[in-house]
Amino acid sequence: MKRIGIPRGLYYYKYYPFAKIFLTELGAEVVLSPETNKEILDIGSKYCIDDACLPVKVYHGHVYFLKDKVDYVLIPRFTSISAKEYICPKFGGLPEMVRYSIPMNSPIIDIEINLYKNKFNLYKSLFSLGNMLGANPIQIKKAINKAFKTHYVYKKDLLNGNLPAVLIENKKPVKIKTKSIVGIVSHPYLLYDSFINMNLLKKLSGRCIKYITPEMIDSQIIDNLCNELEKRIFWSSSKELIGSALYMMNINRIEGILLLTSFACGIDSLSLELIIRIANKIYNKPIMMLTLDEHTGEANFNTRLEAFMDLVERRQNLDNNLSPYGRGIYCSERNIR
Amino acid sequence: MGEAYIAVKGIFDNLGIKSIIAPFTTEDTLRLGSRESPECVCLPFKITLGNYIKSIEAGADTIVITGSCGPCRFGYYGPLQKQILQDMGYDVDFIIIDPPKENPLDFLHNIKKLSNGKTSKAIKSIYDAYKVCIEIDKLNEIQYYVRPRTKNKSIINNIMYNFKREVLDAHGTKEIIEVIKATGNKLLSIPIDKNTKPLKIGIIGEIYTIIEPFSNLNVEERLGNMGAEIHRSMTIKHWAENNLIMPATGRKGYKMEKRLSNPYIPVLIGGHTQQCIGHAINYANLNYDGLVQIYPMTCMPEIVSRTILSQIEKDYNIPILYLIVDEQVGEAGYQTRLEAFVDYLRERKYNHKLSEKF
Repeated sequence: MKRIGIPRGLYYYKYYPFAKIFLTELGAEVVLSPETNKEILDIGSKYCIDDACLPVKVYHGHVYFLKDKVDYVLIPRFTSISAKEYICPKFGGLPEMVRYSIPMNSPIIDIEINLYKNKFNLYKSLFSLGNMLGANPIQIKKAINKAFKTHYVYKKDLLNGNLPAVLIENKKPVKIKTKSIVGIVSHPYLLYDSFINMNLLKKLSGRCIKYITPEMIDSQIIDNLCNELEKRIFWSSSKELIGSALYMMNINRIEGILLLTSFACGIDSLSLELIIRIANKIYNKPIMMLTLDEHTGEANFNTRLEAFMDLVERRQNLDNNLSPYGRGIYCSERNIR
Repeated sequence: MGEAYIAVKGIFDNLGIKSIIAPFTTEDTLRLGSRESPECVCLPFKITLGNYIKSIEAGADTIVITGSCGPCRFGYYGPLQKQILQDMGYDVDFIIIDPPKENPLDFLHNIKKLSNGKTSKAIKSIYDAYKVCIEIDKLNEIQYYVRPRTKNKSIINNIMYNFKREVLDAHGTKEIIEVIKATGNKLLSIPIDKNTKPLKIGIIGEIYTIIEPFSNLNVEERLGNMGAEIHRSMTIKHWAENNLIMPATGRKGYKMEKRLSNPYIPVLIGGHTQQCIGHAINYANLNYDGLVQIYPMTCMPEIVSRTILSQIEKDYNIPILYLIVDEQVGEAGYQTRLEAFVDYLRERKYNHKLSEKF
């Protein structure tokens, strides 16, 4: 039985159930790196080149942990995950970045995920991976179907407001008395990695604040909102962020928006700026951007977060819930241009 | 963007549209641009935004910018810069020319809008501009050849300074080509020492930062003055050939680069990663003494190329200097690193020769 290592970073939170079912169906053993910790971050930033962003550095740390412990390390080359859209170029070059930065003996499986033109490429890559594991085409087809099924169930569970930690790692969901709801706009690899974001979700729950993440918003809604923009957005990840931010701005129950980004993130530098510029015009509620990197101190992160949460709470306490004459000062307009 | 303004000026002159070339990029331009730009965006965004502001202040009412829909951030420059300029209170017309495959009708519409309805003339003047690019490349190559071989470097600086002024006075592609040719002849008449064997350094990296001399702090001039003959991997002509002319005639661009870079990066991931790697290997095969990679901070494709280049350094035994530029770059530190690199290359070459002798 072949042991295949999957690093717990980047799109792990999006595609782990798919990969796990596919590989185990074909008779491979999946080995997962541990949750991100200080050691992994340190090793990652030691081996990765210095001007990469935090999630990529963390990813290097996870690969370092897995190397020589497994037969193969699965580092897919994500060129594109939906039609006519790309992801960040760093995702496309990820196998190369790891291969030339970390000296290791276990070979890398670098199948290409490219849905830019059609879905055929994905099947081709999956079949080549299955062949490598010694399975016959019928088995592979079965595994693919099962994996897709799991993936859709997982996606639906996320949409219903469950967290990857609950779904993948069987942790107990936190039940809280909800006082207010805020929206968090961020990439899954920052949002669900509780070490990188310094337990952001737990801190919010501790103050009885519920949150909505981009994964909890229907992709159809996101598509429609993004179509209103002047130019189509050609990055899937950026589209998710901009679309969900626009959605959150229109929902009156959401009391504020938190933007979470990592330093030197190429795509966020443009998309979050666009969100903030739109918000300046049409949005009258608290909006804050937090930037993370490996030097971020927890104390000042907490201070800013607390200020944000205080603001959200205070606004709610001061709100008299009487309908004002004319237009309310807190309601937003539906014209984003 | 480097010498592209000369070609673009030619196009508009031929079409009879008055164009305002942004004043040459200075510290002030960059300061204006970076004040309004997002913090982590790459240097070209900041410089171009500064240039727009400067040219609006000089009286421009329409800004023309090309776009793309590739994974590089450049594709989304236009919409965001438009938004920023609007927020700053400037009222300008923004024409974003996206590649024809994205939306052919929009492309033709934009060309028509730009050329006042004379589409065929516009296409002809684009071809004329391509000829200008060829001449500019020749001029640059003369400069690269002459600079390390002559004693008096200031004469070259003088000629090139005058050239920049004269070319702005020239009208239309024909006159521009004449000015370029005259400048080339002037450069060729400078006395040179043909026996010197200068170091050969190739410049690779992100296309904007290697073409625009302000953004890379005149690296070509600096290296040339230190006695190195340089070669720049990407030029406007090179770009036009591979992105406009070859696809238009049904050929595929960047063949050599793709073939050479294939063992290291087999697919296109965006930006010019394949080209950067391909050129690095090409220079190594041509026995260059060293390479300089220049890219703006946080440039996504070039970060990937850089990790691969560290392997090429070992495989092909060629030293590479990595220079990352942004608005905080200090000139002195830059100069020191270049000097150290050139000294190292010279020593390396000398030792190599010695070891061959014995």
